[in-house]
Amino acid sequence: MAQVIINRLKKTFPPPTKDGDPVVAIGDISLEVEGNVFVSIVGPSGCGKSTLLNILSGVETPTSGTVSVTEGGRAAHLGYVFQDARLLPWRTVMDNMLYVRDDGDAGETKATRYLDMVGLSHTHDMFPGQLSGGMQQRVGIARAFSVEPDLLLMDEPFSHLDAITARSLRDHLQELWSATRKTVLFVTHDVVEAVQLSDRIIVLAPGGRIFDDISIDLPHPRRATDPKVATLQAEILGRFEEMHPAPATA
Amino acid sequence: MTDTVAESIQGDLGQANVLRTAAGARRRRYVLVVLGWLVFIGLWWLLALWVGSEARLPSPGRVFQEIVAILQEDFWAQFWASIVRVVAGFFAAVLIGTPVGLLMGRSKYWSNFLQSPVVVAGSIPGLTYAVMAFVVFGISFWGPVLAVGLIAMPYVAINVAEGVRGVDRRLVDMSTAYGRNERQVFRHVVIPSVLPFVFAGVRLSFSLAWKVGTLTEVFGSSKGIGFQIRRNYQLFNMPGVIAWVLLFVLFMLLIERFILVRLERRLFRWRQWERET
Ligand SMILES: Nc1ncnc2c1ncn2[C@@H]1O[C@H](COP(=O)(O)OP(=O)(O)OP(=O)(O)O)[C@@H](O)[C@H]1O
Ligand SMILES: [Mg+2]
Repeated sequence: MAQVIINRLKKTFPPPTKDGDPVVAIGDISLEVEGNVFVSIVGPSGCGKSTLLNILSGVETPTSGTVSVTEGGRAAHLGYVFQDARLLPWRTVMDNMLYVRDDGDAGETKATRYLDMVGLSHTHDMFPGQLSGGMQQRVGIARAFSVEPDLLLMDEPFSHLDAITARSLRDHLQELWSATRKTVLFVTHDVVEAVQLSDRIIVLAPGGRIFDDISIDLPHPRRATDPKVATLQAEILGRFEEMHPAPATA
Repeated sequence: MTDTVAESIQGDLGQANVLRTAAGARRRRYVLVVLGWLVFIGLWWLLALWVGSEARLPSPGRVFQEIVAILQEDFWAQFWASIVRVVAGFFAAVLIGTPVGLLMGRSKYWSNFLQSPVVVAGSIPGLTYAVMAFVVFGISFWGPVLAVGLIAMPYVAINVAEGVRGVDRRLVDMSTAYGRNERQVFRHVVIPSVLPFVFAGVRLSFSLAWKVGTLTEVFGSSKGIGFQIRRNYQLFNMPGVIAWVLLFVLFMLLIERFILVRLERRLFRWRQWERET
């Protein structure tokens, strides 16, 4: 249950070619998120979604503006699920789980419990290369939950997966989230997915600005086939069409 | 989870197939290796018949007798003398080459600064190092060590630099996001990614180092395989020269096959499952 405060955040990257312009990844974002909420960030490709999560997790630094991620006054613990699984290929599944913990072997029980929750306790001693892409992604999810973070960052965790695996993982995620109730920032370009999972949807426009901020008041867990969910999905997709995202400049 | 079960069954079948064909391929390879040797010995034998002079080209049988004699005599002492120098030289090469490579891989500045000397050092013929080592140290233990060290160092440095440049940025970012400190990243991300490259450098330069070490012994030593080759040559003992050369080749192959390759497999067990992603 963390508190995230983003104040007039800007991020530009150096120009990709010698005489080009700097790339504006985030134009100007101010945002506050607090409590046990599931917040989705949606928007077209290149509008700075991953960059935002990277700044929140300390992987990138802001060009200007500030971010603070706290939990009761101290810096919040983070879990991060990436677009790709990002496991160390030279360590077994369990060793990958233990790598992000500081309690050594003592953490093994906890790590095992979360591996179990994603249905992968039998892969304990396997190397990531022995698992399918979907299984690796599940280990990545278990790893993020196992550090029992105050804030969970997820960057299109299901976008590389087939529809069936993605659907079952989405259900999994809802279960896990209901059981643990933490603050989640979930990046996706799938509006349908966002509506099913979140309490609040932040829509980013190209150039890294907030285009829309939508609350969704339906009880969890939600089924993708629930008619109420489907109606909302259609409505929000309609709003999206107003945005007319320009194709990313080459 | 039915999809997982299906997956693992398929995985098992796949693995069995791979094993079966792998065993077949291995058998075929052994047959070819043996055949290669037989053809080589056969040609040699014919050539020796045609030359008809033991002082110029002894027959395989004669050389074989010599090999047996050498093995019963002082082969191990001489072999040991050579291998100790090669290993010592290698150790020096890794000791110097690793930090040089780390610097080159980490910063553009150091890379530009060190690139040319390292490449030049790597392209100088082994004979030059051998002569140089002899000039500096005369007949001594350190001559061959220096020559081996100099020849192997650039390979180690260049490979380490390659390895450092190849460290997966995404894994470093993951570590940062999970609050891992620099020491942990170095130990658990950088070293494991660089190690295979160091190993490749060692394997690449091993035969070169072994050759230069022996070459240096030819004139800069009073012990070792190189020295034995020269001694037999001076005694006009052609079977002796060829026997030592063959033993040299044989042991190089054995060390490469049975020590280096096995060590590599053991160290990098995880690599057999690595896939393109
Ligand atoms: N490390 C970097 N160096 C230079 N430019 C970068 C870097 N990271 C991102 N960018 C640029 O910043 C912009 C936003 O990138 P970002 O990855 O945040 O987009 P995204 O919204 O996550 O897109 P996608 O949905 O395709 O993942 C892009 O134009 C990208 O080229
Ligand atoms: Mg992204």
